[in-house]
Order: sequence, then structure tokens, then C-alpha cells
Amino acid sequence: MPKVKINDTEIEVPNGTNMIEAARLAGIEIPHYCYHPHLSVAGNCRMCLVDIVGGRGPDIACNMQARDGLAIRTDTPAVKKMRASVQEFLLVNHPLDCPICDQSGECRLQDYYMEHGQYESRLNDAKVSKEKRQDIGELIVLDAERCVQCSRCVRFSDEVTGTGELRLMNRGNHTEIGLFPGERLGHHYQGNLADICPVGALTNKEFRFRRRVWYLRETASVCDGCATGCNIDVCHQEGEVFRYNPRRNDAVNKSWMCDPGRLSYQSVMSLKRLLRAHVDKKEVGVDAAVAEVVRRIRNASSVGVVLGTRATNEANWALLTLVRANLPGARIFWVEGNDSTGLPADKILIDGDKNPNSAGVRLLAAHDGKVGDKTALKDAIPELKLLLVLQDDVVHRLGGMSLPPVIYFGTYLNDTSERAAVTLPVAHTVEQDGSYTNRQGRVQRIRRAVNPAGDALPAYQVLEKVGAALGRAPGTAMPAAAFNTMARAVARLKGMDFKSLGEGGLPLAALPPESSNVQAAV
Amino acid sequence: MALPVPSRKMTTIESAYLLEVVKGLVLTISHVIKNIFDPDHFRTIEYPDMKKPMAVRYRGAHRLLTRPDGKVKCVACMCCPTVCPAKCITIIAGEDPDDPAEKFPVEFDIDMLRCIYCGFCVEACPKDAIRMDTRIYEINAYTRQDMVHNKSYMVNLMEGKKPEAEDVYRANPSTAPAGYTFDEKPIP
Ligand code: SF4
Ligand code: SF4
Ligand code: SF4
Ligand code: SF4
Ligand code: FES
Repeated sequence: MPKVKINDTEIEVPNGTNMIEAARLAGIEIPHYCYHPHLSVAGNCRMCLVDIVGGRGPDIACNMQARDGLAIRTDTPAVKKMRASVQEFLLVNHPLDCPICDQSGECRLQDYYMEHGQYESRLNDAKVSKEKRQDIGELIVLDAERCVQCSRCVRFSDEVTGTGELRLMNRGNHTEIGLFPGERLGHHYQGNLADICPVGALTNKEFRFRRRVWYLRETASVCDGCATGCNIDVCHQEGEVFRYNPRRNDAVNKSWMCDPGRLSYQSVMSLKRLLRAHVDKKEVGVDAAVAEVVRRIRNASSVGVVLGTRATNEANWALLTLVRANLPGARIFWVEGNDSTGLPADKILIDGDKNPNSAGVRLLAAHDGKVGDKTALKDAIPELKLLLVLQDDVVHRLGGMSLPPVIYFGTYLNDTSERAAVTLPVAHTVEQDGSYTNRQGRVQRIRRAVNPAGDALPAYQVLEKVGAALGRAPGTAMPAAAFNTMARAVARLKGMDFKSLGEGGLPLAALPPESSNVQAAV
Repeated sequence: MALPVPSRKMTTIESAYLLEVVKGLVLTISHVIKNIFDPDHFRTIEYPDMKKPMAVRYRGAHRLLTRPDGKVKCVACMCCPTVCPAKCITIIAGEDPDDPAEKFPVEFDIDMLRCIYCGFCVEACPKDAIRMDTRIYEINAYTRQDMVHNKSYMVNLMEGKKPEAEDVYRANPSTAPAGYTFDEKPIP
């Protein structure tokens, strides 16, 4: 571990750390455009120039590996002057579109101008103009004038998606980002281009002009689009969600997310949301529906319960404990499958399993030991008199088999809600606290960004009501309590605590030696 | 922010009160005498037939300026709703595919019941698209809804009228606010 000195702070950093990251660890920011932690180093923007103490001259921090005894300074007059000069160069041909530029408010040119620029313009000549508003892909608008030629987007399409559509063309003042003639972006990670572009050259078509970014509040959460569980920031204002942005998590999604996941924020305001409780298709209050659920459970001679791969760990735990405490004869299942078709799995992020919490369900199934799978449910259906379904579209997953009366705790209108005798609205991922376990077995927190729509409640709270009415409540009114009880009971969650999950989540503990094979599958 | 006013100890004569009363009376009586000999000084303005001339930079009702091609100058940058301390400006932005300005306000509403006439919106605008130089102070309506001035109202507010401030500024450019550009809209 080399020990480096940045200004007056000495810090020991891991081998192979570059000086931008080392400085970040020391709490010092080195401004940069072209460097990105998850892309190769290009070293072309020169914004990160620093002075090396005892060195011959300034050098770029992004391409400087930490080595023992290296001392740099980021606060000398020379460094300040270099930053201002780089900034001035970058702005020579810049259109200053800020009033109509979507990047405004999260733009490095703006930020660094305020921090490191603040010079008087010396430009007397006309600016070089380039083509604006180019539609280059499903999700991306390119404004060539605003580009600072950092080449991040080029490296992203070369290194991450491997599609290599973008190139820097021409020379000098006329350098311009573009695609080969007739080509368009052809991958499902386009939104990331708008994120990594440090300026407003690449902007998100879908978010374009919808809201100024400085109005948006961010809540750290997890995308529920597939089993990968990309970490996201939910950007919302006054109860309305405007976009998902990927949040850096080196263990899961680095800095990226896929386009369908990014656009899945639309499901929050979707017209297909289940907003009210229904009994036999008649709208009722939540409490009346809970009473009806309890009445039907009491009257049914045999009850089946389906855990939810789209539900939180807390909700599944609530359902599991509720059934085991109150309904000794009931049988529990879980049904693999997808509610709708999505993109096929790829090697980057997208997983074929479109449920955020299949691994969590598998873990609880293994913990319980008596949870049946899809085939077991199919076999058991003729004997069941009532089926409780948590969030998954089980009717669809079973391919439209005839089922006993269904009680559906769900977020969306779908085949199951259509068939259900009683439906209870469940909050969307961004409307509740809780946790999902992703395909790697990483337990990650979701957080409430906006209030639940309609009468919806987090599933663990609905189940708490049902449990209380049945006699023994599962004790899951609060997600933290639900998680902590679960963590104490389930071997592979040992030592975890709702708080300790933090922003980045925690991996499941390694299997204890005597554990079953089912758990190994998680 | 309230400024603290330092209190001062009263002198003995001041706390005796009598002299202060006399001082006050002297001031009042001197005004009475002045008004008797100079009636123009205090004449009541017979509003609404007569109107008091407003100061050149009086902040009246907002108007939205247009470009020579008739489109609003505003590009819905959201600076004014951001800076507005009364949070009374509501803009819905849209994209104009035929316009090089790309962005424009589909809706632009100012709730005049909440506006405090501070003029920050005018200061903040990078496009000189909104001004309060109309000197219109009779801002009233029968319903609350009508007190919300919308885009077309604010664009047409000065239709056929020239903001008086323009004349003053043209005649004496040194009185114009820094960066003032004259209205480009042709006046019939
Ligand atoms: S890229 Fe940044 S500086 Fe350039 S117009 Fe957009 S917000 Fe302004
Ligand atoms: S378009 Fe953006 S990311 Fe690509 S080179 Fe230009 S500034 Fe960099
Ligand atoms: S004058 Fe002040 S309060 Fe009124 S709209 Fe403008 S910024 Fe808002
Ligand atoms: S500040 Fe000017 S350009 Fe921006 S939204 Fe307001 S009126 Fe329009
Ligand atoms: S960040 Fe180092 S040169 Fe661009």
C-alpha cells in the first residue's frame, strides 16, 4: 500500500490507485472531465493537471499511479492558472446554451467555471458552430457544439457495450463527436451516455425539458427491473418521480444501468397501477378488504400461499411468519417466471429473471424448508380452496391454469388481479422501505422516495394487518424490525442489520457447512 | 432579515415629554401653514380619472416580450421560477421542433395574488423575456383564477401600447437599467 501526500494530507491508498482517486480518498477534489472510474484513462482534457513536489513540471493526476513517497499539490498558483486556462480553452467554441441545456445544474463546465474559471472572455472571433439537436439513438440527443471532446462516450461504447458507434472526427477546432453515416446507437445502455457526458452534448431524450435538475431530490434505492438490482438514485419532486439515475456500486452495476430499467420509473405513475382494494371487483377500503381476507382464510379448508419474487424480503418474511404462526395447515409455494417479457440476458447487466428478489425468496424457501416450487403448486392446485398471492402475476406465470379463489396483494393490474376475489394495493418499490436480494446474493436497501399512490401500503404492513386480525401479527409494521427479526432467524443473514445494509448493500454470509443444496443455489 | 435597532437612553428633557409634544405640534402646524399657501402641494388626485405618474422603474404587472418573429423570447430556462421568493411562477416547458431555440414555455402562469412585486424574475432572466415596466398597478379580477396571468395575457398586455419607460430611457439612456435593450416588437 503506497503512501502518498496530497497537499498537506498524507494517505495510504490501495495499489494501483490513481491520484484523482487518492485525492478523493483524502477528501480533496481534483477537477476532471475525461477520467471516469469505470473507463480506461484517456488523459485528453488536461483539467486534472497537478504539480508534483520535486518533479519537473505538472502532470495529469488521472494517469498518475500512486507510488510510495509521491507528493502532489493541487493548490499552487500554477495549478489554479492551468485549470482556468483549460476551462477557457474548452469554452472558446462553447455555445453557452445553459438556458435551454438540460445539463444545466449538473454540468461540469458550469461548476468548474464557478470554481476554477471566472475569467473575462477574450474571444473576439465567431465561434465554430456545429450541428445541434441530432437524433442519434432511441434515447439520446447529441448537440455537437456543446461537446468538450473528452471521449468518455467513445470509450463507453468501445469498452462497456463493445458496439463502438461513436467516434471523434476532424481536427482542432473542428473536432466533433459523431457516428458513422447512417448509423444509430444500437445498444440498451444509451442512457449512461447522457450520464457520463460531463456536459450537455449527450442528453436523455426522454427526460429532455421535463424538469430542471436542481428541483429534483434524490433517494438512494435499487432498480426492480431485473435480478441484477442496479443501484439507483430515484429523482423526484413533490411526490412525482422524474427519472432513475444509476448510483455507483462497484460490486453490482459499477456506474451503469440499462435503458429499460432507467425507463421503469414510468411504472410508478402507470395507469396499470392497482390503487384501491377490491372485493369481488367492488372497490372497498383497505380495512374492509383485510376483514374479507380474514373471513375467507377462516372459511377455507386448505389455503395455499405464494411468496413474491417481486416483493421485498420484509414482505416475504411477513407472509412466511404470518402463515406459519396462524395457519398451520397452509402450504407455501413460490413461482419462478416473469410477469412480462423483457430483454434477454446479456453479459453486461441485464438478467433474464425480471424479478428483483428471486434470490431472497429462494433464501427464505430454503430457510423454511417446506416451500414448494412451481411444479408443486401445479400439483397442489386441485386440493387448494384459497390462494394468497404476493405481488407476482402467478396466473400469468402458470399459463392461465384454473385456480381456486385468489387473494392478491399486488402493485399492478394484471392477469392475477383480474382473476382475484380480493385485491389489496401494494406500494411500488420507490414508495416503500425494505430490501431486495439480487442475483449475486447481495442484500440491498430500497428507500421510500414518494408516498404510496392511492390506498397502497407496503406489503409487510398489509400483512401485519391481516396477521393481527387472524390472531398473531408477524411484527412487521416497521421494515427495520421485520428485517432484523428475519436476520436473527435466517442463517445466511446473520450479523446483518437494517441499518448496516447502508447505501451499497451487503453480501449474504457464506454457507454454513451443513446447509442444504437449495441454499447453495442462491 | 430584521435588523436590530440599537436603543438609546433618553435624556432627562426627553423623558420629561412636554418638550417633545411641542416639537411634534410645531411640525404638524408648519405643514398646515405650508399647505394653505401652496395648495398644489397637497391636492388630492382624482383617481381613477387622474393617475399619479409612476416612477420610471416602477414595477407593475409583468409582460412577456416577443422576438421579431412573434414567438416569445422566453426559453423556459426556469431561472425565474427558481429565484421567485413567492413561488408564484409556473412554467411547463416544451420542445419546438422548428425553432433553433429548441425550448419554449408551453404554459407560463404567474399567480399575481402571491407575487410580491420584487422584480427578481426580471433580474434573473437571461433572455430579457420578462419585464415589469408596464407601470400597470391596477391588477384586479373577480375570481382568483383570473388573477393568474397566463402566457397570452402577458404577451398581449401592452398590445398597441408602448411602455412609457421606453420613452424615458430612449430620451435619456443613462437612466436605463444596466443591459436594457429596447423592445423589438414593432409598435403599430
Ligand atoms: S453544457 Fe453546460 S455550459 Fe454548456 S450549455 Fe449546457 S449547461 Fe451550459
Ligand atoms: S459527447 Fe460528451 S462524453 Fe462524448 S466526448 Fe463530447 S463531452 Fe465527452
Ligand atoms: S416579482 Fe418577485 S414574486 Fe413576483 S413573480 Fe417576479 S420574482 Fe416572483
Ligand atoms: S428567466 Fe426568462 S427565459 Fe427563463 S423561464 Fe423566466 S422568463 Fe423564461
Ligand atoms: S481527467 Fe486527467 S486529463 Fe482528463
